[in-house]
Amino acid sequence: MSMEGIKSFEPAVKEAPASGSSRLEAVLKVIYESVSELNLQLPEGQRIEKSPAAVLFGAGGKLDSLALANFIVITEQKLDEYFGCRVDLTQDDPFSPTTGHFGTIRSLANYILKLPGIQDSPSRTD
Amino acid sequence: MKLHLISDFNLETLGHYLENDGSSPKLSVVAAPFGQVFPALLQPSQSSPSDFALVWTSPEKMVPAFAAALDNTAFGEDGVVAEVQQFADRLRAAQKHFRAIFVVSWTLSPHYRGNGILSLKAGGLRQVLLKMNLTLAQELDDCRGIYLLDGQRWMEEVGKSSYSPKLWYLTKTPFHGNVFRQAAGDLRAAISAVLGTSKKLVVVDLDNTLWDGVVGDLGWESLRLGGHDYLGEAFVDFQKALKSLRNRGILLAIASKNEESVALEALNKHPEMVLRPDDFSAWRINWNDKAANIAELATELNLGLESIVFLDDNPVERARVREALPEVYVPEWPDDKTLFASNLRALNCFDSAYVTAEDTSRHQMYATHKQREQLRQRVSSAEDWILSLETEIVVEELSNANCARVVQLLNKTNQMNLTTRRLAEAELRAWVRQKNRTLWAFRVKDKFGDSGLTGILSLEIESDGALITDFVLSCRVMGRNVEHSMLAFAAQHCTALRLRELRADYVPTAKNKPCFSFWMSSGFAYDEKENRFTWPLTRPYPSPDGITIRQPEAMEGDAVRSSEPVLLDAQTASLKAITN
Repeated sequence: MSMEGIKSFEPAVKEAPASGSSRLEAVLKVIYESVSELNLQLPEGQRIEKSPAAVLFGAGGKLDSLALANFIVITEQKLDEYFGCRVDLTQDDPFSPTTGHFGTIRSLANYILKLPGIQDSPSRTD
Repeated sequence: MKLHLISDFNLETLGHYLENDGSSPKLSVVAAPFGQVFPALLQPSQSSPSDFALVWTSPEKMVPAFAAALDNTAFGEDGVVAEVQQFADRLRAAQKHFRAIFVVSWTLSPHYRGNGILSLKAGGLRQVLLKMNLTLAQELDDCRGIYLLDGQRWMEEVGKSSYSPKLWYLTKTPFHGNVFRQAAGDLRAAISAVLGTSKKLVVVDLDNTLWDGVVGDLGWESLRLGGHDYLGEAFVDFQKALKSLRNRGILLAIASKNEESVALEALNKHPEMVLRPDDFSAWRINWNDKAANIAELATELNLGLESIVFLDDNPVERARVREALPEVYVPEWPDDKTLFASNLRALNCFDSAYVTAEDTSRHQMYATHKQREQLRQRVSSAEDWILSLETEIVVEELSNANCARVVQLLNKTNQMNLTTRRLAEAELRAWVRQKNRTLWAFRVKDKFGDSGLTGILSLEIESDGALITDFVLSCRVMGRNVEHSMLAFAAQHCTALRLRELRADYVPTAKNKPCFSFWMSSGFAYDEKENRFTWPLTRPYPSPDGITIRQPEAMEGDAVRSSEPVLLDAQTASLKAITN
């Protein structure tokens, strides 16, 4: 997987409007909770840090395809719990080298923020 | 310790949970290629008989007739049952390769509604599945090394997300990770049960744990316990859950900061108290540090700290005990008192691979132990005390009737254990059947009560002598000269076989120093270099006074023994000669 795709998501987070920053925080919170849950099944050296820059999948990433699939399912479930909407994190093939939204936690957050449903739905953390 | 995962789907996630949960013992997981269920079972690679196996299969793949039922094509229920029986036959055939095999019961995704209201009628999908699981359970009932785990409970714990179509299509894993977390917890408990390392004692606090309120302030009459009160009912339920554990053979004890007389008055007099003082094997009700009190309770009851669970509503006390006694299991306890009973019932640290008569009467045995100790304090010397007990020992060969208890004792006993050899039932039976090997089980009772099957001595006859392989005695009967009686019995047996020497090789562990101390005082000569004890059979080993040894009459047909007739006939003859 190329890092190009991953980087393409980063500016959007930085440029997120003030009204969206609390939504970004909510999405990051969901991702971090998912990371905590995923880490229970990972050996110590492969556990994911809870920081926006943490690399998930692809070049330099710690997750193999099974761990990524588990992470996707956990995150989808938690997004449903927090935002009350079902999202499909596999619609833009997450395993493909040309897509990069699972490159880092930051790129994933940015990707999730753009998904239909997340933008409009009231977060239970708001 | 190795665990083989055998499945027709991808079980890697379960393996990851088990390898990374930080629990003891550390498990090395070997995942068989999925779909290779029978080759992995019947011809496992890199396996040894001390390994464990988990078999988790899909009902529609193991039982083709069930796949037909799912497709709404013709199938016969007899065919379903026959296919389940074949599956059970193969599990039985695989038993010799593993110490224990855990088989997960079959489940079906909630997405399958089947034919709705007809689903639980004859031929309906859910009824067929129930029948399959029942047949499998009944088929495996008599296999002590194969255990069925309740997969349905894991699905219920996780709820509607237990099955994940997405994970299935992405990775051929049908279940959400949380199902595997549940499974990993139960599997750990199952392994502990087989290894005999499950918890044996629950130490509870009193105020706000066993009842609501502080008895020293309110008096027992004003405690919230029972009555038409939601909290009172919750505490009664919690006490019932504790009593249910006690009935299963888990001991109860109290560690409470209170005036002893005030607390005991409450336990004795409150009309809705479920647990009375007699239900507790020991207590420390005082103002001392609880960790110190728990350590004293462990000593009094002859249990290791790792056998103890401590329950207290107070997080400070929990933290103190965790810090001072890290071996004691101190589960987090909810603030919500209505959850006490359900939390206790959900603890998975009490599982047992067998339920024996000794388990269910354990509480009574500790009560009689207490009476014995009271007598010890009254009589003038230890010798007088032992004589006054009127101990009787019954010696049995290994048999179908006592095998479960012998295996349990062999695998659970730490302190008075010469070699700490751990064996599964099949391994023990195979060992005893070998030429020149003998195992005796010792039942002990005295005027206060029956301690049950509490001793094991096995030996292997070598060229000119016999080597004691196992010398195991429950802590319940230690220090009452039963140890010496066992040696005297073995020595007489070997003398009758005209052997010249009785030997025992001590294998030290972190916990069997009491065994070493006994052997050092046994009169056997000790060779420090070899860690070997020897007794020349030219001299009789002294039998302790006041202890009767006998052999039951109805043992012959049931005994597990070697097929080598000559020596064993001699052994049986000697056994009779000694005990008659």
